[in-house]
Amino acid sequence: MALTIYGIPTSRALRILWLANELGLDFKYVPVDFSGGSRQPEFMKLNPNGHVPVIDDDGLILWESLACNLYLIKKHGGPLLPKNLADEGRALQWSFWVMTEVEKAALSLLRKLVYPADIADAEVAAARGKLVPAFSVLNGALMGKDCLLGTEFTIADLNVAAVLAWLKIVKYDFSAIPNVEAWLTRCLARPAYVAAKATK
Amino acid sequence: MTLTIYGATLSRAARVLWMAKELGLDFRSVQISPDDTHVPELLRVNPNGRIPAIDDGGVLLFESLAINLYLLKKHGGPLLPDNISDEGRMVQWSFWAMTELEGPLVQLLLNVIRPETISPADVAAATEKLPHVLRVLEGALTGREYLLGSAFTGADLNVASVLSYLKTIVNYDFGSFPNISAWTSRCLGRPAFSAAAAVTAS
Repeated sequence: MALTIYGIPTSRALRILWLANELGLDFKYVPVDFSGGSRQPEFMKLNPNGHVPVIDDDGLILWESLACNLYLIKKHGGPLLPKNLADEGRALQWSFWVMTEVEKAALSLLRKLVYPADIADAEVAAARGKLVPAFSVLNGALMGKDCLLGTEFTIADLNVAAVLAWLKIVKYDFSAIPNVEAWLTRCLARPAYVAAKATK
Repeated sequence: MTLTIYGATLSRAARVLWMAKELGLDFRSVQISPDDTHVPELLRVNPNGRIPAIDDGGVLLFESLAINLYLLKKHGGPLLPDNISDEGRMVQWSFWAMTELEGPLVQLLLNVIRPETISPADVAAATEKLPHVLRVLEGALTGREYLLGSAFTGADLNVASVLSYLKTIVNYDFGSFPNISAWTSRCLGRPAFSAAAAVTAS
């Protein structure tokens, strides 16, 4: 059995590299970048959308980072796997939520930092405006809880925190949402996240 | 156990109503308009103030496609893939529908139903982007009746329920995408899709 993860750690592949490290998986790492590499014809045979990450798990080709993670956790089990159907539903819910409510706005802020000329100030303002109500919801969900599903760090936390990690890079001001700030700091301090960032 | 589905029939709640009908579930429908989502009854279930949301015997969930995957896993049946690889593909296509397809599609939908809310530049960008997205789906349906093979599954329902407005409201020209055209007709021709479209408050 062999798992291959395509995508560099400064791309959305970090989300999968983090989980692979949490699960202690052996995997082959193929450093495809997002500024050309993912549009090469050979790569687009794996993912016709032309995006990283992609996994090849013994011949099963999957894309969409958070879907790959939900597959891998289901396959390998362990403490990050929700323990019942309701919690599995909540893990799915939060994974979709972070993509629909947070990711696009977070990416606008990140791109403004990295490619300031490409992103209009109006887009930045709109992105900031969208994040406020979304993070209010997340802050409420973390009220009185260490983790999204209760006391244990699960795939729900990993999938959401892996997207919010971009906002640490842009030094987003979390002071109005202390539950999110404390939780995100805990999540990103995990050794598996630190190891994933150093993937070579 | 009782299932309550929050959201107007003509909204993203249609996706969940379709799944509930496919699964033959008893449920209560609370018709909340997309324009009136910040009401206490809904905010209790979904603090994001969006539809759909469900209360399934005390399990509160939001995000339409996550709700569908939850309901399908709970109730099983022919729409549920029988192996982990196909389950992974179903989840992949569900995310793809939200991250790649829904954005440009909603722009074209708004251009029809609320043209005053959208700029010509946004319409142009969505019009340019959508064929690239649809090409991926067209390729995946080559030589196959459905996304995972020969049977209609949750993968098809989740993607087709997002795509449906292109056919029913936007009148999008699928001429370059014959596989999608035929597949969409098969999916939307299912009795449960029609039954979902006829749901009223209960």
